Amino acid sequence: MKSREQEYKEIFIAEALEYFDALNRHISDLERNPQDDHVLAEIFRLLHNLKANAKAIGYLQISDVSHKLETAFSLIRNKELSFSDEVVTVLFDGIDMLGELISNIDNPGAGEPDPVLLRNLDIIVDNLSDSTIELAKVQKYNTSRKLSLSDLIYIQIKKLDHLLNLVGELMIDRDRILSISRDLNNDELMSVSSHLYRITEELQYSVMDARLVNVGSLFNKFPRIVRDIAVAEKKEVNLELIGQDIQIDRNILQIITDSLLHLVRNAITHGIEKPEERLKAGKPKEGRLALTARNDRENVIIRLTDDGKGIDFKQVKRAAIDRKMVTADAVDNLPQAELLSFLFEPGFSLAKEVTEYSGRGVGLDVVKNAIDSIGGRINIESERGKGTSFILRLPTSIAVKGALLFEVDDIYYAIPLIHTESVVSMDISELHEVGDVLLADIKGETITVVYLNELLNAPQEQMRLGDATKLKGQVQNIIIVSYNNRKLGLIVDKLYRQQDIVVKSLKKPLDNIDIYGGVTLLGTGKVCLVLDVPAITRFFTNRR
Amino acid sequence: MKRILIVDDSFYMRTMLKNMLSDAGYEIVGEAPNGQTALELARTTNPDLITLDVILPDNTGLDVLKGIKSEQPEMKVVIVSAVGQEVIVNEALEYGALSYIVKPFSEEKVLEVVSQILGGPED
Repeated sequence: MKSREQEYKEIFIAEALEYFDALNRHISDLERNPQDDHVLAEIFRLLHNLKANAKAIGYLQISDVSHKLETAFSLIRNKELSFSDEVVTVLFDGIDMLGELISNIDNPGAGEPDPVLLRNLDIIVDNLSDSTIELAKVQKYNTSRKLSLSDLIYIQIKKLDHLLNLVGELMIDRDRILSISRDLNNDELMSVSSHLYRITEELQYSVMDARLVNVGSLFNKFPRIVRDIAVAEKKEVNLELIGQDIQIDRNILQIITDSLLHLVRNAITHGIEKPEERLKAGKPKEGRLALTARNDRENVIIRLTDDGKGIDFKQVKRAAIDRKMVTADAVDNLPQAELLSFLFEPGFSLAKEVTEYSGRGVGLDVVKNAIDSIGGRINIESERGKGTSFILRLPTSIAVKGALLFEVDDIYYAIPLIHTESVVSMDISELHEVGDVLLADIKGETITVVYLNELLNAPQEQMRLGDATKLKGQVQNIIIVSYNNRKLGLIVDKLYRQQDIVVKSLKKPLDNIDIYGGVTLLGTGKVCLVLDVPAITRFFTNRR
Repeated sequence: MKRILIVDDSFYMRTMLKNMLSDAGYEIVGEAPNGQTALELARTTNPDLITLDVILPDNTGLDVLKGIKSEQPEMKVVIVSAVGQEVIVNEALEYGALSYIVKPFSEEKVLEVVSQILGGPED
């Protein structure tokens, strides 16, 4: 696990090696030009930083040697020590020793610094009156040297963004070349292009891997935040963090930061009860909040669980009726999952009072939009009196998505796998026309089913989504998609395969057609539109 | 949320300060590794507080302090220094720095000094 200590250590070593290289450069300059105050100041600064950093992290040998060298250079700066050959030798040796100590941080068996050299340093630093005699006794310390470079570099995230975009472009061309070489049926070309395929795939994973950070870098900020909110709300909360070493794309973590903060605030202000209330309810005085991360195939699942009072379903029903989202008659037939999905509608709030930490006009709809924007999903589970969980299912990477390819009316489409639940085949007789939609009973659930060809291609005024006679053939292929706890079946003409695709956003003026989330190019060179599942399900929710 | 600018030429020190302060609920509006960047960021981000290392590559920290104070006389500045820099620290306090933190610092010390001046991370 890469803890914060590990992170500090890596940064320390990388920076210390940088300082070491700069020190070597500067001391060589100084040997040629001993009066250069600017170089002296720079050497002093580097040793000073090295001393302070080493002391902070607890590498006392490094801080000790740096300190001795720093003192020697400040004596030279103040003209109290001359830059003689003996002194130069000792200083070079001292800097070499620093380099060795830094390189051997991970190698505790490397032993103590050479006492001869430490003594040499002490002689020049102590500036003894008979120093010339003592200096004559300085012994040569180091003759063999090795070159070493830092193993760690820092890189701006936008450089990695650019790299990832280029890999995306490359993948599209790769698929195209692979497809052309199959058409040409040329063995040599096929062998080159399949090699190209593997290399590109490895390149893609390497770039994605370089962007990964631990969710711990976000999770570790919460203990303090939770403490402060709990104090302000006069509540007792114990936060448990699990899975800090799970890795995720840095930009995805950045995008969910505010959402997670919002959910944590909500959990403490509205979820967890005051200590006296909890005792009355037979719960421990201290509320429990757990923030966990785990991998699930290609995704990262982040779960925030509280053991507070849970969501009041009666209140949700009332609020939904008040806002005319559902009629009073229909509300009792809605499953709990559907009721909970109302919480993500814009302007829907159960908060009665605005406290300092919650209810500042940011609703769960904002959280949901943030999660949607990176192609993730969010769900709620709640039990009255027991507590609430928010489950965020996030992709590990932004640019490349697993998708299901299919065909409608001779045109290729794709749906991101994160929104697909299952694929079923049904006889046309099992689809029932109800009002202006089709309904099907799939695994015990009644699901609205839509003929995609009609939705995508029929002129609006002639659109008949509930007309089964428009369907071709006896057996229908249905992709079940899910968004915000609502399922929808999409009837497609032909199903193809699962494939990793690089989604490009649509350019103006097409960018405001909201049922398309973007476009990708297939290996065949054909354009493939990527359906925006949130937008399509919203379309049906609004109709209802 | 109170906003802080960190000035230090060591990435390690900046990272430690950044983690300590942002974990405590402060917003870090910028990090400057040298005097030039420090002056620019002080101007453009207009933070509630600046932590200023006294030994910087291009200017001394004192020059940076004077530069900031001449443009933004009300700016709150805390000096970060190592043992042995007492002369510079005293001079910095005369030029209007409000307090100082000595490296190596503990999280408690950093938060104590900063919250004494800002009264905590919340606005």
